[in-house]
Amino acid sequence: MEFPRARGVGVSLLLLTAIVFPLIVDNPYLVSVVVTAYVTAIAVYGLDVMLGYTGQLSLAQGGFFGVGGYTAGILMASYDVSFWIALPVAVAMTSALGYLIGLAALRTRGDYFAIFTLAVGVMIVIIIERWEDVTGGTDGLIGVPAPSGVGPLQFDSLTAQYYLILFFLVVTIYVVWSLMDSLVGRTFVAVRNSEELARAVGIDAGRTHQLAFVLSAALAGLGGVLYAVFLGYIGPAMGGVQMTFMMLVYLMIGGVASLAGPLLGTLLVTGLMQVLQAFAEYQMMALGPILVVVIIFFPHGLAGLAGHAKRLFQRRGG
Amino acid sequence: MMRGDSVGRRTLRLGGVLVLGTVVFLSGCAGGESGGGTDDGLEVVNIGFIGPLSGGAAYYGRNVQRGIMMAADEIAEGGGFEVDGRMVRFEIVSLDDRYLPYETATAARRLLQQNQTPVILVPHAGGIRVVQEMNTREPKFLLAAYSSEPSILEAGNPLTLMLPPRFDGYQQPWVEIMMERFGKRLALLPTTTAYGKAWTEAVSVEWSRQGGTLGRDHGVDYNTTTDFTGAVSRALADEPDVLFIGGPSQPTALVIRAAREQGFEGGFIIMDQAKFMEMLTIVPMEALEGAIGVYPQETYPTPGAPLFAERYYERFGDDFQSPTSEVAINYQGIRLIAQAMHLAGTTTDPEAIRAHAGEAARTLPDEYRIFEMDGVTETGHLVRAVFSAHVVDGEFVALRIPAPTSAPSH
Amino acid sequence: MTLFLQQFVNGIALGSVYSLVALGLTLVYGVLKVPNFAHGALYMAGAYVTYVMLTSFGASYMVAMAVSIAVLAVLGGSMEWLVFRRLEGKSPVHAMIAALGMLFFMEGTADVIWGPTFRQVPSPFNDVVTLLGVSITEQRILVIVAAVAVMVGLYLLLKRTLVGMSIEAMAQDREGALLVGIDTRRVALLTFAISGVLAAAAGSLIAPLLLVFPNMGELIILKAFVIVILGGMGSVPGAILGGYLLALAETMAGTYVSFAFSELIAFALLVLVLVVRPTGLFEKGV
Repeated sequence: MEFPRARGVGVSLLLLTAIVFPLIVDNPYLVSVVVTAYVTAIAVYGLDVMLGYTGQLSLAQGGFFGVGGYTAGILMASYDVSFWIALPVAVAMTSALGYLIGLAALRTRGDYFAIFTLAVGVMIVIIIERWEDVTGGTDGLIGVPAPSGVGPLQFDSLTAQYYLILFFLVVTIYVVWSLMDSLVGRTFVAVRNSEELARAVGIDAGRTHQLAFVLSAALAGLGGVLYAVFLGYIGPAMGGVQMTFMMLVYLMIGGVASLAGPLLGTLLVTGLMQVLQAFAEYQMMALGPILVVVIIFFPHGLAGLAGHAKRLFQRRGG
Repeated sequence: MMRGDSVGRRTLRLGGVLVLGTVVFLSGCAGGESGGGTDDGLEVVNIGFIGPLSGGAAYYGRNVQRGIMMAADEIAEGGGFEVDGRMVRFEIVSLDDRYLPYETATAARRLLQQNQTPVILVPHAGGIRVVQEMNTREPKFLLAAYSSEPSILEAGNPLTLMLPPRFDGYQQPWVEIMMERFGKRLALLPTTTAYGKAWTEAVSVEWSRQGGTLGRDHGVDYNTTTDFTGAVSRALADEPDVLFIGGPSQPTALVIRAAREQGFEGGFIIMDQAKFMEMLTIVPMEALEGAIGVYPQETYPTPGAPLFAERYYERFGDDFQSPTSEVAINYQGIRLIAQAMHLAGTTTDPEAIRAHAGEAARTLPDEYRIFEMDGVTETGHLVRAVFSAHVVDGEFVALRIPAPTSAPSH
Repeated sequence: MTLFLQQFVNGIALGSVYSLVALGLTLVYGVLKVPNFAHGALYMAGAYVTYVMLTSFGASYMVAMAVSIAVLAVLGGSMEWLVFRRLEGKSPVHAMIAALGMLFFMEGTADVIWGPTFRQVPSPFNDVVTLLGVSITEQRILVIVAAVAVMVGLYLLLKRTLVGMSIEAMAQDREGALLVGIDTRRVALLTFAISGVLAAAAGSLIAPLLLVFPNMGELIILKAFVIVILGGMGSVPGAILGGYLLALAETMAGTYVSFAFSELIAFALLVLVLVVRPTGLFEKGV
């Protein structure tokens, strides 16, 4: 935490870049890729709350993403509910689901927890796919409208949606950051480092885990809602195991338990996949070794490198 | 931290990442080729294709791609086609969406941005409907939809051209033939996609209407089921005379095999998604005895179909897999679009191109014509007659089903 | 009654495949604490090698299987040697990402070489045997018999050979094993190689019954994880019992309830069991 002023400047610069980005870049394709990355990053922050700060890997993240997206999508597309109501309702539902699942899941630890949440995630997708009357089955739901205007603000255009989503991303990062910095965050870390020791000093490990799990589910749900609204569409693939694993990849490449990691990782890997798309059938074949190399040589992800860079400068500075 | 890792090594890694990251980002930002270039005096128009080129549905996506590329290549080799005094050829720009509709949307934006495609072809309903949300806003484009799902037309999109024939003309003659040959009990074992359900509904309604009895719906997801013996056992417990099945060709063949292994000797009604020639790579003709489905593309009873098959084998090799309707219909679609552009006198106005699609269907030169086409409906559906095949004594017996009587609007 | 018997036999055949795949996974997961998501790709590779041997080289089915097993032993071992070894000491999540990377690579390679086409693996055992009104193909009988043979072989390996006992020792206590002088690296390599062998056997046996395509391992690996957790990580009898029970549960659920339910049941079972017993059904250990 040295150089807080430097960090403040850095964050402001990044924020400024993000704000002017759609205005200076006249490329709707690129903007839409960045928006998709922002939305996914929100869910990845949720994943980080569990993995980075409590040390538990929740593989249900994709499932919660899907639940959030479908709840909002169904409300908005099938029942004409306004975005501004559908959003909190969907996030609340996802959080409630997270709480319920957490009651069972959090009795397990480590690998069991991971596989338990994986199974939950798979079940969510199967239920979505087979409950066709409500969810549209394997085809998904089309026709999710853009958010309705608020006063003078309209949200039909790509640029407007970019700012809307950027807003939620910034809120997410702020919430995660202040939480981690606060007593709650330090409680998480204490529990992660040694549950027994934490209990010994009076921390309710169970309650801590539960809070983290609900928060991570809520963030995934928020991401899902924004995704459905941005695309105008929600499908079962968005809640599936593939999505969960990609989120994990984004997080690990970006750097676990770091503030910038989830966003950086998501942006980078999403960009990489767009680049690799030119290679058609070689896409997956190329992505594989890249992942392996990165995880072996950069186990702390990009953020770990940034930390290293910072230390370099510090050494020079004395 | 990483113990045992010298500062120097970590710095090196950092430097490497920064350099690599910059290179990756710049190359990602750099666009692809844009349209409108010239090539040997031929104007190049980019046609976009977004479909599953990797992953589970890739086999299907690549079949579609092969058809459109064959058309584009033939056009180029033949010196192009004429549009308003200029000679034009097509360049197919393909992007893989891995069958995921959100990737389809991103890919469409990319094509419009980098390649200025006036036409984009998408071969799956999910992707089609997502793209339908986009094509009426600037930049507009014509969506060539390869899917038989009714909801695509119900969307009322004015810039959609739906290429496959209607699927609801098959049921009445098929039910009649099967009932007469085998009996009145039908068991249902189709795939559980929305398209499968639409078919199940159509067949069930028709079967009941003609006085038959229906078993329970034992449908399973052909895309994720690997072992069909269980599903088949359940269906055969209904003691059916005829089985209604269908989904992608290869799993459908497995269903047929399992049914024969379990002693089923009746007939099959096979959804148009499954192709006889593809199924024959897995089961022998004897297993297909009594089946009714879409007539194999290679020997389709139109003048143009065998000629098309000949050109296809010449291009891809005699040992190449048989050309299916995926290849043929999409080939025809590209030829049709070229003709529409020719008639409309423009390669950049999708509304004009769409307006001339019906006339293009009627006036397409015989050398490129595979199917009998009567025109295009107001909602964008290409109207044509179809042929189905009934396997009798090891031979395909053709049955012509005329285009629906509601006349096309232009 | 016939329907029940028919489904029972189907379930046993399916269970044989599930068990073989789960066995390979449980050894690696239990012994090395590595969640090898790429194990499904090994299964796929085993099927493809058999396919190539049968179609391009005209080999007999047994020879094809033998080659597949040999190739996969090397492939499995190289996963450890090239990748997992370098992640020793890092969290399991790192190993998961690496496994995903290898999965993408292997599936991508298969896609490039053979394309996404569903391949048919010819088998000489196509005749149908009817017993008590139940039809069963010879291939399915082969699957059941071969699976049992492999399991017996594995059991003997683990209990009667030095190598096997080293594996057991490592499963129980890695540090203890080190202290006693076991070369843990070598044992890790061998364990991965054995998991490759098991995957190859599963893939080769099941290939003629299904279709071979690059993503064929994805669904089965999820179920294998469920089986491993239910049966206990590193538990050989757990993996076997779990595999058969799960397959039977799926088959019966599909028959008497609904298809959708049969899809859910594997995961619902896991959730149910872990709610009641958060540490799994069996104690860890072979």
